[in-house]
Amino acid sequence: MKTEEAMIRTVNLVKKFGHHEVLRGINFEVQPSEVVVIVGPSGSGKSTLLRCINGLEHATGGHVYVEGIDITDHDTDINLVRQKLGMVFQNFNLFPHLTALGNVTLAPVKVKDMKQKDADRRGIELLDKVGLKEKADSYPAHLSGGQQQRVAIARAFAMDPDVMLFDEVTSALDPELVKEVLDTMKDLVREGMTMIVVTHEMGFAKEMGDRMVFMDEGEIVEEGKPVDVFTNPRSPRTREFFSKILSHN
Amino acid sequence: MKILWESMPYLLRGMWITIKLAVVSEVCILILGLLLSLVRISRVRVFRFLAAVYIDVIRGIPLILQIVIIYFGLGHLGLNLDRFTAGVLALTVCYAAYEAEIFRSGIESIDKGQMEAARSLGMGYMKSMRYIILPQAVRRVIPPLSNEFIALLKDTALVSVIALAEVFQRGRELMGTLASVTPLVGVAICYLMLTIPLMRLVQYIEKRMARGD
Repeated sequence: MKTEEAMIRTVNLVKKFGHHEVLRGINFEVQPSEVVVIVGPSGSGKSTLLRCINGLEHATGGHVYVEGIDITDHDTDINLVRQKLGMVFQNFNLFPHLTALGNVTLAPVKVKDMKQKDADRRGIELLDKVGLKEKADSYPAHLSGGQQQRVAIARAFAMDPDVMLFDEVTSALDPELVKEVLDTMKDLVREGMTMIVVTHEMGFAKEMGDRMVFMDEGEIVEEGKPVDVFTNPRSPRTREFFSKILSHN
Repeated sequence: MKILWESMPYLLRGMWITIKLAVVSEVCILILGLLLSLVRISRVRVFRFLAAVYIDVIRGIPLILQIVIIYFGLGHLGLNLDRFTAGVLALTVCYAAYEAEIFRSGIESIDKGQMEAARSLGMGYMKSMRYIILPQAVRRVIPPLSNEFIALLKDTALVSVIALAEVFQRGRELMGTLASVTPLVGVAICYLMLTIPLMRLVQYIEKRMARGD
């Protein structure tokens, strides 16, 4: 691994579902400790880009490098690469048959062979960090959406990832629960976590993002400092998108 | 009434064989059925195809025929199984095909986000199956599997075709020697003593699961 290598790099990344081209040659980089916010209309390919980065979707063409390792190479052990990438989903996807603590400790124990006792101690720490220490023994069904999503963040973080991927993590939440999840994410930003955040939360994007990427129809249309992209978009497509969002709010 | 009363000890010993036959078979069926379902959804096309063929062929042949083929057929090939083992084997081969489909429907009913979440944490396919998908899927298929067990319990009567002295076979013997149908009433009572409590149990489980715990 070269030291100057970007944390994440995609080269001419193409993804097709059947004949439909969802990603049309994406060239994209994320540097260590950078917080990149990806915005764009639905169907623009932003979630697919995120899912290609951790191999949940297989690239149709091009390359995806995670810390210099090409995950589109068949010889790459994708399970090892995924340990460096924590993913948080729109629908939480907590494991319903495990407690909050069980959700957080399962992967460290089964994948990293951590002792259950050590994993529990660390798990409690992480749940404390997301403000849910007292919910350690609760099952997901007994947690609110916001609480579930915070457990999901703790679960992803428990593997000590180098990059966290957030896929519209507040979209399925009731409005009053969005803030607690965003606050948890802000804590991670302050710790210097490298993050790729697909979101519609423009407030978060402007405040926490180092860079904003605007995608439309499978292409990166524009990128730059969030304030610049947001207040002074160069492309008409970006302008149209933001004007729609603003008139909506 | 006297005939019924006098038949019962003999029949009850047969019932014990029936229970053993059903329980031993069920254990084998659950193992083979689960393995078969995993092969059936494997990513390797050939495996998927072979499992599908097995399941279709077995489900397309009457169980009684399978029992006869396994007992006499294997005997012809020089593999002389005792009647009990042949019975277990035939019931396993047959019921595993049905239960594989139940397991498969259970696995496929689990939201695909579960597998994605497990994989994204760096867990391999087998680990994800074992720790995330199967524990949820198995819970979900407990009611249909219980119904299958009740059906299996009744179908053990078919093993009488190879003269295994389970309860139905014994009832028929008594019917011949005593020249009376009454022993068969005793056989029916034996089955009901098992099936009615089991059916109640399944209903109870279904109700509890419907409540969501």
